[in-house]
Amino acid sequence: MNKSDKILVSILLTILIPILILLNFSSSSNLAIVYYENNEILKIDLKKAEQEYEVNGYNGIVKIKAGNGKIKVVEETSKNHICSKQGYIDKPYETIICLPNKIVIKIASDSEYDATL
Amino acid sequence: MDLRKITRISIMLSLAIVLSIVESMIPIFAGSIPGLKIGLANVAIMVVLYVYGFKEAIFVSISRIFIVSILRTGLFNITFFFSLSGAIFSLVFMFLFKKIKVFSIIGVSIIGSIFHTIGQIIVALIFVQNLNILYYLPIILVFSIFTGLLTGYISKQIIMNFDKNIDRNTKM
Amino acid sequence: MKKIIIFILFLVLLTGCQENKYLEKNFFYMDTYINVKLYNVKNAERAFDKIDEIYKEYHELADRYHNYEDLKNVYYIKNNNDTTETIKLDSRLCNMIELGMEYNQKTNGKFNINMADILDVWASYRENKNGVPTINELKEAKNKIKPIIFKEKCEILNNHPSIDLGAIAKGYATEKVGEYLKSEKIDKFIINAGGNVLVGNHYNNAKYKIGLETPNQEKSIYKVLRLENKSVVTSGGYERFYTYNGENYHHIIDYETFYPANYFKSVTVIADDSGIADALSTSLFLLPIEEGKKLIKNTDVQVVWYINDNQIVATEGISKYE
Repeated sequence: MNKSDKILVSILLTILIPILILLNFSSSSNLAIVYYENNEILKIDLKKAEQEYEVNGYNGIVKIKAGNGKIKVVEETSKNHICSKQGYIDKPYETIICLPNKIVIKIASDSEYDATL
Repeated sequence: MDLRKITRISIMLSLAIVLSIVESMIPIFAGSIPGLKIGLANVAIMVVLYVYGFKEAIFVSISRIFIVSILRTGLFNITFFFSLSGAIFSLVFMFLFKKIKVFSIIGVSIIGSIFHTIGQIIVALIFVQNLNILYYLPIILVFSIFTGLLTGYISKQIIMNFDKNIDRNTKM
Repeated sequence: MKKIIIFILFLVLLTGCQENKYLEKNFFYMDTYINVKLYNVKNAERAFDKIDEIYKEYHELADRYHNYEDLKNVYYIKNNNDTTETIKLDSRLCNMIELGMEYNQKTNGKFNINMADILDVWASYRENKNGVPTINELKEAKNKIKPIIFKEKCEILNNHPSIDLGAIAKGYATEKVGEYLKSEKIDKFIINAGGNVLVGNHYNNAKYKIGLETPNQEKSIYKVLRLENKSVVTSGGYERFYTYNGENYHHIIDYETFYPANYFKSVTVIADDSGIADALSTSLFLLPIEEGKKLIKNTDVQVVWYINDNQIVATEGISKYE
């Protein structure tokens, strides 16, 4: 490695590392999509601060809390409350499925997996 | 063409292919960021670039992509265009920076590694049209600097030990 | 230079043009969110309609709570007012019941499709979260159950047996969807029916990458499988459960003890047939690991037993899918 190589590496690192820190890098994605049956009904930017959203499910209103890179269902009408008990999701392959309400929440990003189970 | 040259270039091509395939079997940081690779095949490309020249290097680079694609992932799909564009960008910029003679082979390798990433990202933006990928760019670029260092160093060692009888067209 | 161009052209001719665009559709049947992706198809509407029809048929056949006109489904078998001595079964239902009986024998009775009343007791406690059924309550429910008795091939005694095909119908229907797709020459597909995954040929001459999630809140991927033309099914008690006095009670009940089985957090099965994979994953969930290994001996089935976070056991052959 000669002197100019070293200068190159230092310049690149001084540019990139602050950007990395600014982006507050994590593997979480930044967009969540809410579907009712096959229709996209809501897109939420997860980079925003956490706030509540309401969508109409099959059994009534489904309350969602989303922001700061994660999303969860807070309240819905169903027998077992599987999806509101699930808690936050933040990874590209994770989904929340509120079956009785026919609501599906996915994190929008190209997951490296074709399916997870 | 000189027979020895043909043989050596063929060996380098085979080496590039094998390195690509072996590398695709080693997952790095599996699960965190898609598409991170060391880029070991670039060692073979750089050796050809430094010992012979740009024309020979682009031949090895493009043939490698075609053959690896046929063997592994298929031709003319997104993965193929990712590799192709990455390889061409990387090689063109390595060639240019080698010409200006400011950087050593290690600096040139880092440049190649960085432009490999940039070439891939450009294709990703055109085909996938998913801006989420840009989010990964800084971390991949930092990673590229270190893989570039590594492959540059390996290439340097190989070229230094390359048969001295060979007529090099350039000094390191 | 000319030679190089010829060389590249030659390589181009070696393979055809490949694309990997897919069309997807979601279905909601059998208490499950089903996602179907079809690759490289121009017009998938017809196929999706047919898939919807297949899932709907099996949903109706396995439906314990509703009657459908002209369909002798599970509800009908339990609640019919016919005076005939026997019931001629719908052939699809018959196949599922036979599959269930087969695994009932293979697990020495632990896996049982003839225990809907016991499941109902558990379901009511799960909904109310106010305790755990006593053994007497469960035995009482068991005593009410009428056995499935075959009189002829696909003809059972009309004694109103209660049948629950929850551990079979999803996988069985998914297998039928796979068969349909292949018959239509749509061979590149992936179906994910809530823990039941069936994959066809890969869209890219590679393998489908299937991530196995840890059966806990974290849901990180602990194993990656690479599959083609295979079915993979996970059974576990980590999604449908309730907590009482600090204990978790899930929905997979051992017919021998009448309580949820607790050998594992989850069991994943890789097999050719999705219906068999479905029945097997529940069966293996109910069996201790050594008995489970005996059950799959001399078959091409591969299994991953997730015992707890630090202990994951898999069959040797799993390595060919890793």
